[in-house]
Amino acid sequence: MKISRSVKIAAAFAASALALTGVNASAANAAGGEKVYVVGGMPSDPFWSVVKRGAEAAANAVKDAGGTVTWLGPQNYDNLGPDAGKLVDNAIAAGATAIVVADWVPAAENAAIKRAVAKGISVVHYNAGGVKEAKNTGALAYVGSDDYLAGVAGGKYFASKGAKNILCVNTVPGSANQEARCKGVADGAKGKAKAKQLPLPSSNFGNPTAVSNAVKAALTKDKTIDAVVTIGVQDADSSAAAIKASGSKAKLGTFDLSENVLARIAAGTQAFAIDQQPWLQGYLATSMAWQHAQYGILPASNPVLTGPAIVDKSNVAKVSAGVKAGVR
Amino acid sequence: MSAKATASKAASKPGFDITNIARRPEFGALIGAVAVFIFFSIAGGSGFTDAGGWASWLNVASEVGIIALPVALVMIAGDLDLSVGSTLAASSMTMAILSGFFGLPTWVGVIAALLFGVLVGWLNGYLVTKTNLPSFVVTLASMFIVMGATLGATRLIVGSTSVTMTADPFFQIIFGNLIFGLFETAVVWWAVIAIIVSWVLYKSIFGNWIYAIGGDMISARATGIPVNKVRIALFMGSGFGAALVGVIQTCIYNGAQVAAGQSFVFNSIIAVVVGGVLLTGGYGSTLGVILGTVTFGIVNQGIYYTGWDADWAALILGLLLLAAVLTNNTFRRLALSGGKKEKKND
Amino acid sequence: MTKAAKKPILRLKNVSKVFAGYQALNDVSLEVYPGQVLCLLGDNGAGKSTLIKVLSGFHEPTSGTVEWDGQEARFKSPKDANERGIATVHQFGGTFPLMSIGRSFFVGVEPTKGWGPFKRFDRKYANETAVREMQQLGITRITDGERLIGSLSGGERQASAIARAVHFGAKVLILDEPTAALGVKEATHVLRIIMQAKLKGIAVILVTHNVSHALTVGDHFAVLIRGQKADDFAKGERTRDQITDLMAGGEAMAELEAELNTLTGTINQIH
Repeated sequence: MKISRSVKIAAAFAASALALTGVNASAANAAGGEKVYVVGGMPSDPFWSVVKRGAEAAANAVKDAGGTVTWLGPQNYDNLGPDAGKLVDNAIAAGATAIVVADWVPAAENAAIKRAVAKGISVVHYNAGGVKEAKNTGALAYVGSDDYLAGVAGGKYFASKGAKNILCVNTVPGSANQEARCKGVADGAKGKAKAKQLPLPSSNFGNPTAVSNAVKAALTKDKTIDAVVTIGVQDADSSAAAIKASGSKAKLGTFDLSENVLARIAAGTQAFAIDQQPWLQGYLATSMAWQHAQYGILPASNPVLTGPAIVDKSNVAKVSAGVKAGVR
Repeated sequence: MSAKATASKAASKPGFDITNIARRPEFGALIGAVAVFIFFSIAGGSGFTDAGGWASWLNVASEVGIIALPVALVMIAGDLDLSVGSTLAASSMTMAILSGFFGLPTWVGVIAALLFGVLVGWLNGYLVTKTNLPSFVVTLASMFIVMGATLGATRLIVGSTSVTMTADPFFQIIFGNLIFGLFETAVVWWAVIAIIVSWVLYKSIFGNWIYAIGGDMISARATGIPVNKVRIALFMGSGFGAALVGVIQTCIYNGAQVAAGQSFVFNSIIAVVVGGVLLTGGYGSTLGVILGTVTFGIVNQGIYYTGWDADWAALILGLLLLAAVLTNNTFRRLALSGGKKEKKND
Repeated sequence: MTKAAKKPILRLKNVSKVFAGYQALNDVSLEVYPGQVLCLLGDNGAGKSTLIKVLSGFHEPTSGTVEWDGQEARFKSPKDANERGIATVHQFGGTFPLMSIGRSFFVGVEPTKGWGPFKRFDRKYANETAVREMQQLGITRITDGERLIGSLSGGERQASAIARAVHFGAKVLILDEPTAALGVKEATHVLRIIMQAKLKGIAVILVTHNVSHALTVGDHFAVLIRGQKADDFAKGERTRDQITDLMAGGEAMAELEAELNTLTGTINQIH
């Protein structure tokens, strides 16, 4: 998941403080070394935790060449667009030679990104915004998945397994990413199954019991629902409990991966998970931005798609090893 | 709940008096709970009124209630605790790391988690009484401190932000089981906590101290009540409640998330206030808080049984809560408006 | 009860109190006798509340001494003063408007029943005692100890607070403007309760603006002006006009009144 489940509550109080988390202490910041800044999500977000690990892996190569990689993430997602824009400006001010940024809210971030591009900084978009926004800002490339395409893949998978009525559980209604996922699911299954959204309000945020019982209620209300797809792994845990409690025969699918998700796929209580391979996003985007800044190297394909990759019983064993290592 | 020992052998009054019941602090909450139940019974049909429907809102209410009851005591004493969400996540993570990541027996994780919650509560209470800063500010700070510490420590130890664990069968049964395949054991825990909290508030002299501190802290201190100790103890109580829900969720969902729990901060305050507790302290009842929590649970879950577009859920939640609080306010004013004979007073 | 035991229960000797650069009390000496009502008179800001706070243990005097029952005493806290038998009742009576009569009556000294872990607040006893004590002071309308203090009238709240002090054996009862917020009838009732407390041998310190109320119940009077004791006299030693003049800060009240009259007169002409 992208802009995801997290500390929404802080909304009420927190002036969104911006955190600077050094991926690598820049002790050995040799003169001439490239300074790479990676603007990503909250460090407590499980998804971004994996992206950050990817960036950390790429940072090793940067460090060997005498450069540094610095991770910049907001403390919360309450004011994401402007905060991310500010982080980009912070990176410029800090003397960045390469910037990796997720273009979640183009209207709020693009001005800052364009300033970076204008200064000759090597900018790569990743995770959000797509190739369209990358072209818009003049960035080198877009690395990531496409939410809509990922949704389509999930919808097709359900349809191929005979699902007729799909419920898309959306715990962040209104977020463009999640809406695109649910829409993709509906379009992917079009003609074979109908799909409907279950939007849950923010008062249920971070409370698996509330989500679980709401899904149970929906399954009780409409007994024809035979497939449930969730936008994130914790919601998948909640929905798995709901399906069990309601006695429904619905199959479960989710975006993103976790140990619990994989355990259920291995045990047969969950059908599949759609992976956008976040580790790869962090790794590739950071490497590309740095390599371009240092050596002028750039892959020819744009966008560089890291997903969707479907994980089901056929490949779950290998994927599990990756999750344990923190790369999936 | 206390019996209504209104009868007094002296001056004879008309035996039964409806205004006496209406003057009780939980009356508004009772009306609210009954109203939303009837509302969703009609709108939600049999799905809402059968056992599965009851389980839906009871499960949600019980977890909120385990936190809301001790939080209610904190609020009756005139303080606030905004750190319960972070405490929940931290306790849950403590348990998952010890018993899941390090593979220690479940009981070690459970005890460590509960102790952790009590410790955060103690720290809140200690800082609030030592610094004399408003508890709103202190617990707001500790909310972020605990949140950040949980994230940092979890990453440092586990290298990710969610930890998987499976509880031993005994703990799975007492914390994470579904009774009749429907009701979380949290419902039973909620009942136990309700009895304990009610006893403390009504039966122990400690309860009188809580009311007195919330009513007027300076006067309470002047009468010799150990105000600081009481407040610290109350914060420890809310920390324990948050930790207990952390343990329960860890057992039910087989693991812990760093970012869990924050919704409980507002939801527990909502339940407490809907239950008739005065935000400024000094007034409230546990029965009221239980009813407020039930109201919250019903509103939170009822909409999903109506088949309406769930986009409207938050709107309906907000409107119903506002109505409930207004009702409470009316009845509290009634409680303060003496009997019928007296005119007004200050 | 003899009119006045000769020994003062509480005595202030040359007490001063200075707050960061401002002298609230300046060399005040006072004697308070059991079974007497001492009226403390003075305009706003004259130092009455500081004096009360010294007497009730909220403040320690900067200089001078407090004697309790002939012995020099230091009240380290309100609790300390309270334990010796000094009870203070504020303008609005019970300070816990949202507590029941029975509960607030016993705050801090809750009666219990049962044993060990089952020891619990004895609500029945608390309610009955509170109601009985109030009825003894003539508040017969109150029959239910579960009622909230906030639902009582101003006079009844004063009565409940005084009843509490009497019940717990207060030797000195400090009443801070008890009649200020009351109507005529209620105020009269409170004055009657003060007389009852006096007859029980309690030393009453009555702080008030109201000269009529003071003259009705007072045995002894002290007037404060800008932190100093301006006058100190027994009942019958001063006329009402003299007292009023003193309270107005020494200026002749008659002059002020004349001035007011000319003002209102002018206004009347305009209309």
